[in-house]
Amino acid sequence: MVLFYVALGTLFGFILSRSGAADYNYIQGMFLFEEFQLYGIIGTAVVLTAPGIWLLKRYGRTLAGRTLAVERKAGHRGNVYGGILFGVGWSMTGMCPGPVLVNVGEGKLYGLAALAGVLAGAALFGCSYRRLTRPFRLPPLAVGTGEG
Amino acid sequence: MPLILNGLEPLPWWLAGAGIAVVTLALLGVTGHRLGVSTGFENVCALVVRAPYFGREALRGSNGWRLPLLGGLVLGGFLSAVLGGGWEPTWALGMFDAEIGWGPAGKAAWMFVGGVLIGFGTRLAGGCTSGHGIFGLSNLELPSLAATVSFMTAGAVTTNLIYRVLL
Repeated sequence: MVLFYVALGTLFGFILSRSGAADYNYIQGMFLFEEFQLYGIIGTAVVLTAPGIWLLKRYGRTLAGRTLAVERKAGHRGNVYGGILFGVGWSMTGMCPGPVLVNVGEGKLYGLAALAGVLAGAALFGCSYRRLTRPFRLPPLAVGTGEG
Repeated sequence: MPLILNGLEPLPWWLAGAGIAVVTLALLGVTGHRLGVSTGFENVCALVVRAPYFGREALRGSNGWRLPLLGGLVLGGFLSAVLGGGWEPTWALGMFDAEIGWGPAGKAAWMFVGGVLIGFGTRLAGGCTSGHGIFGLSNLELPSLAATVSFMTAGAVTTNLIYRVLL
């Protein structure tokens, strides 16, 4: 199974690399409303994935035969405040989490600095979880903010 | 507009979007996992950082699929470069070079700060572009809509502030 996940990640990474999703100029073009590319990509992905998820849930099993249960993410204040922080970071770097890794693979050296920052940010978040739980109405520590 | 990577022409948006849908549905349909990249950074942190949050069962149990997926993303970028004109380390950053023009040290600092916001922000939000923007929206989840609107708006405000107001 490990190979399946590596293969899927590789295909995902290749698409992100070649579509503009991992390209600083295309991300700025999206946020400046000058480039349609990223809206087209995300829009197409959602329009095709939505009926697929619906069908798979109706079928109720994975192809391996296991029961398919899609856990919904928890709603909390972090959705908005964390989203805002992430949006600023996405604009600054021109990368969201997948493309951070893709940029590193492509040989873009600034991607390594972004990756170091991402890991530092995630570590800081994990270590502050108890303090953030109440102000952001986060789920209990064992649950987390949402697997995404 | 050509990509920064070797000046390649990008794939058409509909093909890239369809490809991402295939990846998302293959992951769900074969293994039952919902697509999401940012949680994988917690799996990496959990390898070295000792904190109760990183020791939780739900996270430990996902090492086996999230870490290979993250590795695949790096590999995908590498193969894309190799098959598309060659892999070569570079600091080229497109319009940042043209309009801001900082050297490697400045860029590294800028990217590190942006990275911290991505790491902290996506984990506080409970997902990123893939987990909220693609999977969550496709599954008609309200928290994902709130997060997606928030990061798209914040990104647009920031980029417009940098390139239309400050510069």
